[in-house]
Amino acid sequence: MTIPFTHMLFLAILLFVMGAACAMTRKNLFLILIGVEVMLNAAGIAFVAAAMRWLDMNGQIMVLFVMTAAAAEIAVALALIICFQRQSGSTNADRLSLLKG
Amino acid sequence: MKPVLFLLLSFPLLGALLVSLIGRHLSRRAVETIACTAVAASFILALTAFLLSGQKAYSLTLARWFAAGSFQVGLDLYYDPLAAVMALMVTFVSSLVHLYSVGYMRYDNGYIRYFCFLNLFVFAMLVIVTAGNLVFLYLGWETVGLCSYALIGFWYEKPEAANAGAKAFVVTRLGDVAFGIAIAICWVTLGHLSVSGIHDSAAGIDASRAGIIGCFLFLAAIGKSAQLPLSVWLPDAMAGPTPVSALIHAATMVTAGVYLLMRFFPVIQASMPLMAVIACVGILTICFGALGALIQKDIKRILAYSTISQVGYMFLALGAGDVAGSLFHLIAHAFFKSLLFLGAGCIIQALHEEQDIFRMGGGLRQKMPQLFWLFLAGTAALGAFPLTAGFFSKDRILLAVFLQPQAGYKLLWVIASMAAMITPLYAFRLFIIVFFGKSQSPSGPAKASPTSVPDVMTRVLWPLAFFSVFLGFLNLPLNWAGKEWLAQYLAAVPGSAMELHASSKMESAMQLGSALLTIIMVIVACIYYGTRVESVETGTETLLSKMQALFRNGFYLDRLYQTRITAPYRAAAGLLWQKVDAGWLDAGLNQSARSFLTLAETLRLWTTGRVSRYVSMMVAGFALILCSLTLAWWYLLI
Amino acid sequence: MTVFNIIFYIAAAIVVGATGLAITRKQVVHAVCYLVISFMGTAVLFYILGAPLLAALEVIIYAGGIMVLFLFVVMMVKDTPPSIDKPSRVKRWLPAMILAGTSALISGLLVFADPGNRLRPPIVTGTPQEFGNILFKDYWFPVEIASLLLLAALIGAHYLGRRADHPEDTP
Repeated sequence: MTIPFTHMLFLAILLFVMGAACAMTRKNLFLILIGVEVMLNAAGIAFVAAAMRWLDMNGQIMVLFVMTAAAAEIAVALALIICFQRQSGSTNADRLSLLKG
Repeated sequence: MKPVLFLLLSFPLLGALLVSLIGRHLSRRAVETIACTAVAASFILALTAFLLSGQKAYSLTLARWFAAGSFQVGLDLYYDPLAAVMALMVTFVSSLVHLYSVGYMRYDNGYIRYFCFLNLFVFAMLVIVTAGNLVFLYLGWETVGLCSYALIGFWYEKPEAANAGAKAFVVTRLGDVAFGIAIAICWVTLGHLSVSGIHDSAAGIDASRAGIIGCFLFLAAIGKSAQLPLSVWLPDAMAGPTPVSALIHAATMVTAGVYLLMRFFPVIQASMPLMAVIACVGILTICFGALGALIQKDIKRILAYSTISQVGYMFLALGAGDVAGSLFHLIAHAFFKSLLFLGAGCIIQALHEEQDIFRMGGGLRQKMPQLFWLFLAGTAALGAFPLTAGFFSKDRILLAVFLQPQAGYKLLWVIASMAAMITPLYAFRLFIIVFFGKSQSPSGPAKASPTSVPDVMTRVLWPLAFFSVFLGFLNLPLNWAGKEWLAQYLAAVPGSAMELHASSKMESAMQLGSALLTIIMVIVACIYYGTRVESVETGTETLLSKMQALFRNGFYLDRLYQTRITAPYRAAAGLLWQKVDAGWLDAGLNQSARSFLTLAETLRLWTTGRVSRYVSMMVAGFALILCSLTLAWWYLLI
Repeated sequence: MTVFNIIFYIAAAIVVGATGLAITRKQVVHAVCYLVISFMGTAVLFYILGAPLLAALEVIIYAGGIMVLFLFVVMMVKDTPPSIDKPSRVKRWLPAMILAGTSALISGLLVFADPGNRLRPPIVTGTPQEFGNILFKDYWFPVEIASLLLLAALIGAHYLGRRADHPEDTP
């Protein structure tokens, strides 16, 4: 395998930053969630790349757990969004401003 | 014996609890009955205990109070002849005062509070009398202080009464602190606190240690017994109801200090210098009180100063090593002083709260003949008129002082004898001006009517008068074919076994001399005060008027404390309050609180309620953490 | 520079491109669709990087499960959609064209580089068997915890997503 490890990492970082940017800038709750998913995915790529780099299965197994966590998170998050939408009729994150000081 | 003593203590306490807890649901008559019955029952029990005990000393433990390691304190009782006599006197006088109070306080609405504290007062004094260890004694000691505060300041709406209560409390507190120190020293040096144990070990300890312990005990006694220099609270304590004054002076408070010294006399005896100091303080106080009493106008103040003086005699007797004489005088004084105070209470109420003797108008003799004779008995006893109780007790003290081998005591004897000449002077001055004086205010005597005083108030005075006159036969001197019964009875008490080795002739000579002197002084008083009306001050600063002012104001002791101690203390307290507390501490706290508020206001702006903002902050935080981790890792790598 | 290297870079480019499109969409449905593409690309990457099981799971769980769930929820939620202006025909077909082009390119590459279809990824660090062995031998406890997590998520989602029939029960 001749792909440099740094390239893989670079890809992971790029994806992570894109996800983070999405989560930070978007207002739609779904899009924020999408950003989070992208970030998790980027972390998965980094794990797999590391597993490849050091020929260690633990990295791959970690990706499985990341997926599990992502699935659980998405399930709860979507339920929350539905809940919120029922109450306020919107999925705009700026409407969630009860914590405003 | 144990149940008797237990009940002796518990009856007044029970009375106080009953009155305070359910008093408001009971009728006035019921409250009065409970309070009087409690004390009367206590008296009967004291009598029972006295008859049962013989001359034995009992050490009992009612219950364990608290324990900390080897430091164990129980509710111990110690009952010996000394305690027996004291308990009898305290309960007897207190019962009469309670009965008297029923009449005296008949218009006062605070009777529940009054009788509760009165009962508690008696209980506390009985604790002092019968306590078997120092800590339990301290409990009674402090409770006495508390009750005195509450009762002197009973009419707390009047500022002077409230102030007098606070003053009594604070001044006696000084002595209490000394008592606390004495307890601590006792525990450290002797290893135990029980009365009997201290008696046992007193013989073994060296003079300096005994002196230190005794010194602190003495300081405590000074505070409670209003001796110089802590005497200032007693004249002011007159702001309380008159029966309370009688109780404080005769039975429950002022005598506590003397009793404390008697109780631990073996310790005090071990240090000769301390004895001399006690004698000197006693003699100074005698003169102070006598001169003060000579010039006062307020009837209660005269009696207060006379108490100071008379208690000085008790201290003098202790300083001369004569416990029996001191106790004898204490008992005699309790009877005649309570008689005088209660009589004064009758007079004051009959004259509608008139306390100035020069405005009483002298008409009382015809209007209240009973009271006239009663008061005469009290005055005679106070003035040590021959054959009254005061005569024998005072004589014994003078004799004891005279018989001390040291030369200094002879000087003390001379001074004491001279002071003893002043006593009949002020006693009869009071009597003559009150009952024979010409009124300065025409309205005074017209208002006096004997019917305005309930019968109970005069009736309870009779037993007191009886004892004031005839108590002397309790301890008739040997040359009177007496047996010195009291001294014999007390012989078993440690430290009190003192033989007065006086020849019968000398004793008789001294008695004759003092009797003659007293009679002369009484005649002088009759002539001097009977013929003149107190002139209103002319304003000229003669030596005499200056001295009168000096005596009237109690040698300016109050003013001295006021300017030298209280005022600087107040100033310092004000400084600490306004500058340090309010100026620095509070302001600093406020400022820091305000800065936190500002900080919070600033931070509040961050909580925009926008999720994206939170997410970006979180990401920034994670980035920071990662960066620092990377840096650390890099640093470790290098 | 083997063919897998080339495929890696192509897949990486697809992943980055699809993700970039996904995160910039206004329409959530569009974003989800692009994200599915991104996950597919990630699956390819996983396969190339020696994790075939994970590649399959990525497709099944992420692209197949989570994203479909996502789509359903998005469709369920009545959101006020931004006005959709109908794109032009070319614009509508452009993604499909690109996708088809790339697929054709990769297929061509594979066929060109390996006519006999004997090419295997150079290193397979994780066969499914090996993966399962390690997972259930060394990681049985985290697996239990993960299952617990999923259960909790299930219950939580159920609780949160109930109809507000009983107003006093609503969170």
